[in-house]
Amino acid sequence: MGLEIGTNPMDMDAIAARLAADFAAELTGVRVQEPDTVVARCERAALKDVARRLKAHAEIGYETLNFVAGVDKVRHLESVYHVYSWKTNTYLELHVEVPTAKAEVDTVCDVWPGADWHEREAWDMFGIRYLGHPDLRRILLKDDFVGHPLRKDYVDSAENHPYA
Amino acid sequence: MPNQFATPEPDEAVKLALRRIEESTARGEGSDVEGLAFNEVVVNMGPQHPSTHGVLRLVVTLDGELVKDVIPVIGYLHRCKEKIAEKRTYFQYIPIVDRTEYVAGMNCEWGYVMTVEKLAGIEPTRRAEFIRVIMAELNRIASHQVAVGTFTADMAPLGTAMVFYMFRDREYILDLLEEVSGARMMFNYFRFGGLRYDLPDGWVEKCRDLMKRLPKLIDEYEALVQDNAIFLQRCVGKGVITQQDIVDYGITGPNARASGVARDLRRTRPYSVYPELDFEVSTQTHGDVFDRYQVRMQEMRESVKIVEQCLDMLPKGPVQLGFLRAPYVITPPPGECYTSQENPRGEYGTYIVSDGSRYPYRLKFRDPCFCNLQLFPKLLRGNKIADAVAISGSIDMVLGGIDR
Amino acid sequence: MTDMVPNRSKMRYPKLEHFQEPNVITTTADFIFSWGRSHSVFPFTYGLACCAIEMLSSGFARFDIARYGMEVFRPTPRQCDLMIVAGTVNEKMAPVLKRLYDQMSEPKWVIAMGACAISGGPFYDGYNVVNGVDKIVPVDVYIPGCPPRPEALFQGLLELQIKIQQHKFVAETPKPAAQNPKPAAVTPAPVAGAEA
Repeated sequence: MGLEIGTNPMDMDAIAARLAADFAAELTGVRVQEPDTVVARCERAALKDVARRLKAHAEIGYETLNFVAGVDKVRHLESVYHVYSWKTNTYLELHVEVPTAKAEVDTVCDVWPGADWHEREAWDMFGIRYLGHPDLRRILLKDDFVGHPLRKDYVDSAENHPYA
Repeated sequence: MPNQFATPEPDEAVKLALRRIEESTARGEGSDVEGLAFNEVVVNMGPQHPSTHGVLRLVVTLDGELVKDVIPVIGYLHRCKEKIAEKRTYFQYIPIVDRTEYVAGMNCEWGYVMTVEKLAGIEPTRRAEFIRVIMAELNRIASHQVAVGTFTADMAPLGTAMVFYMFRDREYILDLLEEVSGARMMFNYFRFGGLRYDLPDGWVEKCRDLMKRLPKLIDEYEALVQDNAIFLQRCVGKGVITQQDIVDYGITGPNARASGVARDLRRTRPYSVYPELDFEVSTQTHGDVFDRYQVRMQEMRESVKIVEQCLDMLPKGPVQLGFLRAPYVITPPPGECYTSQENPRGEYGTYIVSDGSRYPYRLKFRDPCFCNLQLFPKLLRGNKIADAVAISGSIDMVLGGIDR
Repeated sequence: MTDMVPNRSKMRYPKLEHFQEPNVITTTADFIFSWGRSHSVFPFTYGLACCAIEMLSSGFARFDIARYGMEVFRPTPRQCDLMIVAGTVNEKMAPVLKRLYDQMSEPKWVIAMGACAISGGPFYDGYNVVNGVDKIVPVDVYIPGCPPRPEALFQGLLELQIKIQQHKFVAETPKPAAQNPKPAAVTPAPVAGAEA
């Protein structure tokens, strides 16, 4: 009753082709990663719009957010969104490049409410600022921690260790 | 050294709670009593608390006994696992993954090992696949025993016999797991391409023996609390997770299945030899605390069935691939991979980005309890403070996974 | 007439000076109090991480901590003697730990259970991990293991019992050490018949 998990009527290549067609302008590099994930790259500016349309898509609505991860690829940061579609029982991995110097990207909390804590964690660990987030503050580290530790250029400093 | 006996300065979470009280007072929802500015009180259920299952801090805004708002503060067990992954080889990291969700170590190891095997293109041996399923399901039973045991222990502080029975039987399972891997909790048993040790002689008979006894023991547990009027009153109808919540917040595991959503990754995203096994996905309909408890009890019975089937179907063969095909220092090709598996708490996923060296470039855990805990404020609002204990116990949080 | 006034300095009743050195009354009191203290320790439930589950297991049926009298785990530090720090302490938790330790009343003891509490354990190089709880509170017994088996916890508790039993009300005043002790001069062997 209610929420049903689809048995994937479309196969993976069809899903990838459909996404490439519907989001031709915004998504690049749409490819299939076995067995049930589509990987794509999205422009930072178009993220909010793409997120809304992905969630509301008629055949492959990506309604649930699995996680948001930050990755530090030294020349730029990345915000990775992993979303799940109930109708087709497949995942989509969306990579958004964020410049290291001014690491800002739109929040997707209004599209997927579960992004709240995941974005806070990405802010905490990487310093990616999510514009429009209702309550962007540190989640795992203490409030007066200095720096963003999972960045590759993070250096452990004595001011973060008052007790050691 | 600051004065330890002075009232501490409010930190961010408490300041947020106070700000929300001010906002609601400004909106006119303040006090209904003459002379009081506002009704609410901010109480700290601090990181050290008998009922919060680990170092979870809840900043609760109370109006008498009614909970107006709760702000969970986590991070008191943040052990820098994701950064440490970048300094350890893939092989050296296996024991550390055990400590993510420490009551379900085998399942966590499996999640990590599965991702690395996929990245590196290593196929485990068939016998190892069956033994992995057996270990994971045994650990699922043990984990549910801890979860339900501490849940009932919190509601009547250690006053129920249930937690004693469950921990007694958990010891039988840990005996089996200790014979195989050498440790009671932090197994360090999974390897890329297989397992560390094969099953010792006589283990299969001991396991079969225990699986024959377990269903009766599970009946014993249910008989202890199922008809207790106070237990039912505290559990039925409380903390209902709706299907919209499951879609919005990504709730998985028994928490989702108790609301009627039959999503079990062993069925919907099958891995290993689960397609060959016959078991049912346990669901309930209402989604309240009592249903979550029932789903866990049902899952214990299903796990017993799975273990018995695997013991019957266990093929002969090696459990390791040998160091030529699965060397100790593996260097997966550059790429990314995300796999997930059904942890006792939900979808436990590992996302690894590899750059071709022997250290992971980025390792991220998709922890089920982290996602489930986001829903906790919504579940608790409008209930009494005593329900906080029942609801948080039923969500089954392990802070090692939430904080990593 | 002055001979009739009793000379108080010669009267034989216990004086305060007699209790500044150990004597039979203080050692008997030591024995009784330390017997009571060591055989009914109230541990503080300070399980942080994985070691907490082993601590729980040691409290339940198979490894019964009640046979040592320590089953009274109290969640509030005000009522406890013993803080078993079981798990990793990080920078966010450290002030909480110190605060709770200060809230315990004397005499109090601390056990560092598990590798993380002793020295940071497998997470020693984390940016957020305190390498050992003895950087924050004084530790009496260290129990290594990751996690230590319940039997190891019991061995640590028994060591702690021995330590508790050494608690004295009155300690012997230490004698001052000799300053620059010179080596004994070689005395010549006495010669028969010579002057002393």
